[in-house]
Amino acid sequence: MNMDKPIRRVAIFALLLIFGLMAQVNYVQGSQAEDLRTNASNPRLYSDIFKEPRGQISAGGEVLVSSKEIDEEEYGRVYKDGAVFSPVTGYFQGGATQVERAYSGLLSGDDTRIKNQRWFDTFIGKSAEGADLELSIDPKAQRTAYEQLKQATAPGRRGGAVVMDVETGALKVAASWPSVDPNEFANDPRADKSSKRLEQLNKGDGVQKPLIDNALSQTFPPGSSFKILMAALGLQEGMDASTPVDTSDLVLPESNIPLPDSHEHGACGGRAPLRAAFIESCNSSFGRMAMELTIQKMHDGGEKFGFGDRVEIEPNFFAAQSAIPVEVTTADGQTIKTGQDATARSGIGQENVRSTPLQMAMVAAAVANDGTIMKPYVVEKALAQDQSEVYGADPQEYGKAMSEGDAKALQDWMRGVVTEGTAGNLRGMNIAGKTGTAEQGEGIPNARWFVGFSPMDDPKYAFAVMTEGAGAGATGAGPVAGAIMRQVLK
Amino acid sequence: MSSIGDQIRARLPYQRRNAASLVLIAFAMVLTLSAFAEVGLARDGSIPAGMFGYGGGLAVLAVAAYFVQMKFAPYADPLLLPLAIALNGIGFAMIYRLDLETSADWKQAALNGKVLTDAANAQDQLIWTFVGIALFVAALLIMRDTDKSDAPLSFTPKTAQRYTYLIGLGAIIMLLLPIVPGLGNTVNGARVWIQIPGVGGLQPAEFAKLMMVAFFAGYLVNKRQAMSLIGKKVGPFSFPRLRDLGPVLVIWFFCLGVLFVQKDLGTALLFFGLFVSMLYIATQRLSWIMIGLGLLAVGVFVAMQLPFMGHVDQRISIWQNPEPYFDGGCLMENGKVVPVNPNTEIYQKFEAAGANPPGLAACNELGGAFSDSRQLMMGLFSLGEGGVLGTGLGQGEPWRTPLAFSDFIFTSIGEELGLTGLMALLLIYALIVQRGMKTAVAARDSYLKLFAGGVSFVLALQVFVIIGGVTKLIPLTGLTTPFMSQGGSSMMANWILIAILVRMSHDARKPAPQAIQDEGMTQIVSTR
Repeated sequence: MNMDKPIRRVAIFALLLIFGLMAQVNYVQGSQAEDLRTNASNPRLYSDIFKEPRGQISAGGEVLVSSKEIDEEEYGRVYKDGAVFSPVTGYFQGGATQVERAYSGLLSGDDTRIKNQRWFDTFIGKSAEGADLELSIDPKAQRTAYEQLKQATAPGRRGGAVVMDVETGALKVAASWPSVDPNEFANDPRADKSSKRLEQLNKGDGVQKPLIDNALSQTFPPGSSFKILMAALGLQEGMDASTPVDTSDLVLPESNIPLPDSHEHGACGGRAPLRAAFIESCNSSFGRMAMELTIQKMHDGGEKFGFGDRVEIEPNFFAAQSAIPVEVTTADGQTIKTGQDATARSGIGQENVRSTPLQMAMVAAAVANDGTIMKPYVVEKALAQDQSEVYGADPQEYGKAMSEGDAKALQDWMRGVVTEGTAGNLRGMNIAGKTGTAEQGEGIPNARWFVGFSPMDDPKYAFAVMTEGAGAGATGAGPVAGAIMRQVLK
Repeated sequence: MSSIGDQIRARLPYQRRNAASLVLIAFAMVLTLSAFAEVGLARDGSIPAGMFGYGGGLAVLAVAAYFVQMKFAPYADPLLLPLAIALNGIGFAMIYRLDLETSADWKQAALNGKVLTDAANAQDQLIWTFVGIALFVAALLIMRDTDKSDAPLSFTPKTAQRYTYLIGLGAIIMLLLPIVPGLGNTVNGARVWIQIPGVGGLQPAEFAKLMMVAFFAGYLVNKRQAMSLIGKKVGPFSFPRLRDLGPVLVIWFFCLGVLFVQKDLGTALLFFGLFVSMLYIATQRLSWIMIGLGLLAVGVFVAMQLPFMGHVDQRISIWQNPEPYFDGGCLMENGKVVPVNPNTEIYQKFEAAGANPPGLAACNELGGAFSDSRQLMMGLFSLGEGGVLGTGLGQGEPWRTPLAFSDFIFTSIGEELGLTGLMALLLIYALIVQRGMKTAVAARDSYLKLFAGGVSFVLALQVFVIIGGVTKLIPLTGLTTPFMSQGGSSMMANWILIAILVRMSHDARKPAPQAIQDEGMTQIVSTR
């Protein structure tokens, strides 16, 4: 019996096996290739991005971030005074944050805004070079802010400062203590020790989370600085500077616990006009005002200033959400409505009211800019390597928070805080504002605020400074704000 | 009507095609040397030293092999040697390219007093290529006296028939060697290696593969009459007697044993597939294929049920859905995959506790079976990166895949030469297999037919199992990619395989012995 026929069949079967492989390879490399290339687990996604230098980030003529060749055709990022500027620049080590993330496309050259300009480069297969960014940050003021925050903040605690140009919304300062120097892990992003360090920083130490900046991305109880917003709401409800308010001791209706004033003399001695209660920061009157207004109105009114909004500073670069909650959900899933007592405490920026320094700067900006808040931004422009502008900031209105008259009145009141109120120690610094001292619980230092504007008589900049430590806002945050503003105004 | 073999033989020109073979070898060398040059040009912008050292070395070996073939097997199929050299050369260039990438790691490891086993090594590959081609030459020389089977030092494929059972026993011993304590060595979960002092690691299964073909051929030639003729006819199929089923069951149990004891799914699949196909060639009975597939299904089912064979279940699960297993996945009772990659809490808990490896410990804690699809996925990413045209030799990142130079060399080439390169590669394999099959058809003897057919089919099956595995066509099992994977055993065994085919094709294609005119009218019509 002849075996040729079965051999021929087996030969055909062997061919079919190999055709099967061919079909599969065609399927994988043809149809699936794109999915595989963009699969989130594919490390090649993160490898190409180190192969080209990214654009520089500069501010005030200083180059803050640049790329450096680490070894053959691989680039790491170098940050000048990394700890000072990282709350704004963020970092890039494959993953990215803040400006490095918001403009990653332009910095790396992947963005169509560059590619379209460089169509010829693309055509000949040359990858587009990244654009350079210029920030609105005032580097000297930013350094001052960092140094001042470092000195004013209690050991192991946090501080943050924001300065904003009220007419454009451009951020001049966004500083945080503690901060992180991206050079520790972004110089050689592929090194093991880089990822170890990043992991370690991510865990943080106590309340300090160095990777989370305290200017834009962290909320704190605003304390009495919140009274600016309360006063604005009060003015909208028809009150004025001379409206008499009750500043006598307030006993909270539900718990019978007193809501004390910081002092029992002067305006807070029993009865005073609203302006005086504001200047001397009488808690009792603002607690009463809050209960009359109701928490819902406070919540809705706060939205005009930006509360409840993850303010978008740049694309994909958001500030943390500040809040005036009408109810909170606890860890075990229970919803607790903000009651009368809690509403009263909310009125003085305590209880569950939370605010980023940026948010309080926006409140101050509303006052300083006659009621209008400009959308905060931090990137002035992007220049391609041939120096053509591929992006330019376009200041936009964030919203109208109050009337011009109310704003003018509040400007006067905030000047009063320094000239005749709780912040007498800041006289001569050419700043006006509102102090705030928020208790954060037993054994935890206060969040000390000074929120305001400068120059005093012709407000151009709004600011918010917060440091954690013992004592009050006037001494704990005011001088910091003074020092920063002196540098900004130089 | 005459048989296909007769038709082919009738048309065979009995020509020496040595010139064609030389031209093709030259072409294979141009391919190889260009590949080496491209690696250097793409990486450093200059012709690399390796092109002369390694590529040149291969060229010398190829020419030597050619001259031996021209002298001792002049009527051999002209395609077999050049095709094997092309595969060897392309694989070599890729290993050289991966070696360049990892040589820094080698130096670093040597400085730290560590031995790095998981890296490409072009120098070793040159030695193995040398040994492989030397064995090709030696095999051709030993088998040269095919006409005089009793010549001294002559062992032709035909003589193997005389030692059928001895060879079968040898194959089994070879396969069992890795289980011997002290000799065997478990690498990457499969116990398929033996350590020989001074030589290093060997995979005896690669040699057992060839011996098995010789054994099956000898056994089946003896039994084919009984196995093909006697039996009950049920519908279109005629089923064999129970007593003829015996040896099939023995082989089946043996393959299951390989699977269970050595956890070597690839080899088990290879041997069983080989046996079933040779059985079919010998008997022409489709029922053997049905029975074979049935037994295979039973074997896989049994393996999936046995708790200590959990990894078969896992492999199938990974094959169907590899993504959740990336960086470690845990298959739970209800078929749910829980990732235990380093970003999960439970992984970190065990990592902190110092468990080794933490993923496995975490999975055990969860009560599931742990497995990792990283290698498969990375191989697929490699293919994806390559796309249709590839990144170009030296310009991709194939080194990201674990074992990019051995089990996954196919995806490495897929990344840098693209779909285009892989199609060419698969066509080369297909050509070798088909040339082998043609040799089988042309062979003048049942035993040689079965031998050549088996050898060709086992090559095709091996290519299918490993490449199908790395391209996610079938579940991944560890086998070498013939002529390309880094490693000695595979290189040696496959070069011997080519030598056998070359010798057989020479025998099949050479002119029939001339009739001695003195014997008057006697004329030899055909030898079979």
